[in-house]
Amino acid sequence: MGVVLSLALRRSARRTVLLGIALGAFLFLVGLSYSSVDENQIRSLVESLPPAIQAFVKGSDIASPAGYLGSTFIHPITLSIMAATAIAAGAAPARDVETGVAELMLSRPLTRTAWLGAEMIAMVIQLVVVALLGFAGALIAVTTVDALAPIAVGNLVLTAIPLLLLFIGIGAVTMLAGAFSRTGTRAIGWGTAFALVAYALDYLAQVWGVAEPLGPLSVMHWYRPATILGGGTVPGSTWAVLVGVAVVAGAAALAVTSRREVAP
Amino acid sequence: MGDVAAIRAQGLGKSYGSGAMALEGVDLEVAQGERIGFLGPNGAGKTTFIRCALGILRPTEGSVAILGHDLATDRMAALAQVGYVPGDLGMIRAVSGRRMLDALARLHPRPPVLQQRLLDALELDGAALAKRIRDYSTGMRQKLGLVAALQHDPPVIILDEPSSGLDPVMQARLLEMLDERAREGRTVFFSSHVLGEVDELCDRVAMVRGGRLLLVRDVDELRRARVRTVEVLFDRDVDPSVYAVDGMGEVRVEGHVHHFTVSGDPGALLSRIGALSPRDITIEAARLEDVFRALYLEDAD
Repeated sequence: MGVVLSLALRRSARRTVLLGIALGAFLFLVGLSYSSVDENQIRSLVESLPPAIQAFVKGSDIASPAGYLGSTFIHPITLSIMAATAIAAGAAPARDVETGVAELMLSRPLTRTAWLGAEMIAMVIQLVVVALLGFAGALIAVTTVDALAPIAVGNLVLTAIPLLLLFIGIGAVTMLAGAFSRTGTRAIGWGTAFALVAYALDYLAQVWGVAEPLGPLSVMHWYRPATILGGGTVPGSTWAVLVGVAVVAGAAALAVTSRREVAP
Repeated sequence: MGDVAAIRAQGLGKSYGSGAMALEGVDLEVAQGERIGFLGPNGAGKTTFIRCALGILRPTEGSVAILGHDLATDRMAALAQVGYVPGDLGMIRAVSGRRMLDALARLHPRPPVLQQRLLDALELDGAALAKRIRDYSTGMRQKLGLVAALQHDPPVIILDEPSSGLDPVMQARLLEMLDERAREGRTVFFSSHVLGEVDELCDRVAMVRGGRLLLVRDVDELRRARVRTVEVLFDRDVDPSVYAVDGMGEVRVEGHVHHFTVSGDPGALLSRIGALSPRDITIEAARLEDVFRALYLEDAD
């Protein structure tokens, strides 16, 4: 298992570090920009925007330090970087089946469960690295920008963990899709579709009354970074849903892979 | 252990989603230390058989065991006895050859005792191994796959068209290496459609077509049973009926040179011609290729 893990990490190392640096730089720059923000002007500007635009920040007060920094955790750039990491890592096993790498590995005394388990651990490690580098950028901003001083570092950590869980879940869903696919491209397609539908459903539920009851069906619905940053607690339902999606999708991917054929 | 077959397939069958049988009722037993060529045209079921034998594909019917370990129930023990080179050799392109080779070595319980010898024989030096696999040529990847498969000195070597991508010098070296392994008692299961190399290496051939096993026969027996081309030069006019034997084809006479084919044991023919004191005689051994073609034509008919 260690061999597969080491290979998976080594081949994704460059991509992981680059995505992490990009996320760190983005969160740092956004944090840095808060020093030039006039709270009242931003607040009145946001209030003047139509609800459909306000929904992008999930209704948080982005003029406040917690709301401003919290909105970066659900900014499309942050979400795209995390999604790219999760989906690329989640599709890696399907790509290995497609290219014959899985056949080469699994013709050795290695179980499918150990093989996919190692790929899952590699995915989690890649997401942790990217999230840590992103967190480092946000942390530097919080400690250097006086206006962000009200944000507790502990709350920042608490905000990053559900973000990580959210994308571990998306990666696990991609792996599950990959367990049914013969190509890595299809796994990427399904993983991306899952993330986009989750995002769209969460957004629609906020701006369209008819869709509101469907909001909880989206995994994105359960992640509210501004609330966590401001309040310092993560609701139990958030933990339950985010951990549940990751565990159920991961277990299902293992179960399907243990019975699937792994030839290109 | 000596009595246990290296590979035993019983009623092995495999169908894909469409319901078409890629492999059907294959019974094949390969003894330990044997070198067997697995022949068949593209799409005949060679690779499907191998993948079922390694548990990469799940057979729809029947069973396979390697050295007595059933693939369905004891796959890990079975695979610990095998060195395998796939036909579609996939490797992680972002890592170096050395890293890939060492990783594959660590996945096997047997130590890579032959690694350095094989690297030397296939001319993969430190500089080549330091390169990333994405910079490898097809031939270099194939060599790396061969080292990875054989480095543990596995008792059962399964190769799916292993010489593809290799230059003629390396192809010859591969056959030498396999010959050496076989002489040390290892079983070589060699799938190919390059008949020359099977002819050179193997003691026995199994031929498949349309997912079914056509025959399993000794190479020598096949050659003996099949047609040979004969050319005899006399120093005078000779009537072909004087030396005619059963199994002889039509004789074409050009001056004093007689051309014909003969099947079966050529002993009687040789003694009759010998009595006529020919100036020269050439008998071309039946090539496996001719045998192969004839068998497929017979089967198609």
